[in-house]
Amino acid sequence: MKGLRMEPASVGLSKYDPLGRILCFDRFDSTTHGWTELIGNYNGRGDLGTVDDHMRDFRPPQLSSCSFFDVGTHGTLSGNYALKLATRPYRGHTATGIRRLTMAGRGRVRIETYFAFKAEATLGHDLPASVAWDGNRHPSEAQFGAFTVATDICADNGTRYHNVIRYQNTNLAGEMTQRWMYPIVPEPTPRDHQEGRFALPYAADFTAPDPDDWRTFDEPLELCVNEVPTKINWHYLRWDIDTATRSNVELRLNDRVMDMSDVPVPIYPDRYGTLDNLLNFYFSVRTHADIRNFLFLDSVLISVDW
Amino acid sequence: MRSTMTAVLERAALVNDELATEPYELPWAHEARFFVQVHELTGGLELTTEISPDGLTWCPADVPAVRVETPGMASWLVTGFGQWLRVRCRVSGDTAPAARLRIYLVGKS
Repeated sequence: MKGLRMEPASVGLSKYDPLGRILCFDRFDSTTHGWTELIGNYNGRGDLGTVDDHMRDFRPPQLSSCSFFDVGTHGTLSGNYALKLATRPYRGHTATGIRRLTMAGRGRVRIETYFAFKAEATLGHDLPASVAWDGNRHPSEAQFGAFTVATDICADNGTRYHNVIRYQNTNLAGEMTQRWMYPIVPEPTPRDHQEGRFALPYAADFTAPDPDDWRTFDEPLELCVNEVPTKINWHYLRWDIDTATRSNVELRLNDRVMDMSDVPVPIYPDRYGTLDNLLNFYFSVRTHADIRNFLFLDSVLISVDW
Repeated sequence: MRSTMTAVLERAALVNDELATEPYELPWAHEARFFVQVHELTGGLELTTEISPDGLTWCPADVPAVRVETPGMASWLVTGFGQWLRVRCRVSGDTAPAARLRIYLVGKS
C-alpha cells in the first residue's frame, strides 16, 4: 500500500509454522489478498433476487486499523491493517471472507492465522447481556456469538465436503459456552434449494442451520477477550486437515492442541460439477444478539505438504 | 501500484423512509467514490455522505447531498474523509415513496 513499509517476509513468517510448500501468506497491509465476500448462486440473468435469502448478505470484508472510540487506532500484530469481517447488528447475521484456490495434489493442508474477535462497543446505552460489568468482566464478553473456520473442497468425480471448526462463545440465548464445535451435516447448497430440499430465512446459520446438527469437541476454552470491547489481543490458530483422507487432523489454539482425528467430515451424498480440485477456505463471524460482531485477521498463512 | 477495493454495501435494499448503510472502514484510502444504482424510484431520493472517527458517531461529510429524481446511477467522489464512511438514503414524496438501491463504495490509495 502506498507509503507503507512492509516488514521483511522472514520476520512475518517466523511467527508461523508452515508445511513444506506455502500457497499463500496474506498480510493485510496490502489489499485483501483474495479474501472476498461469499454470496449464494444466481441465475443466468444476474438476478440477485434468485440468491438464497440466507446467503445474500454476508457483507464485504474491510481493511481495518482496529480503531476504537476510546483509544483511537489500536493497530495489529504485524502492522497497520487487519482484515475485518463485520456482521450487521441483527441476531443471527453472519459475515464471511472466503479465499478460492484449487489443489495441485492431495495430502496435509494447514491454515494458520493470528486473529482477534469482538462485539461492537456500546456507547451511551446498554444491551442485555448474561455478564455484568464488575470492573473486570464486561457485558461485551457475552455479546459475541461465534466464529468459524471452514473449507469447501471438491475432487475425485465431484465428491464435495467441508471441514469445519467453530468457536461458539455464546449460545443463541447469549449464555457463555466457549466450546469448539463441528457440524454433522454438510452445508445446504443453492442446488439443494433449487431441488426443494430447504428454503432458509435471512440470518439462518448457513454452515448448518439446525443447532441440533452441531456437536462439541475438546474441553471448554476461555480465550483472551481482555475485559472491554476496545482491547484486542491476537490469538494464534493452526488447523491441519488431510485432503487425501478427507479428514480433520489437529487444531491448535495458542497452547491448547486438540486431536481432531475423530471429528467427522460430512460428505455430500450427491456429486457436484464445475468444482474439480476446489480448495476454498472461509472465515465467518455470527452474532447471536442485535449487535455487530467483528472478526479481525492480522494475517493468514496456508501451506501444504505436496 | 495503487491499491483499490470495491465493496457492495447494499444489493437490492428497499428504502421506504430512510436507510444508513453499514459502517465501512477505508482508513488506507486517499479517495473514495460511491456508486448508487437506483433500480426503482417512487418520489425523490436524497443521498448524504456521512463520516465517523469510530464507526459509532456520525456527521455529514464535506460533500453536497446528491438528489435523484429518476432511476439510473448516481456517483460522487469523497476525499479527506478520515476512516469510516456511509451514505444516508432518504426517500420522500406524496404517495408511498420508495427506492430500490444497489450501493457500491470504491476506495483507492
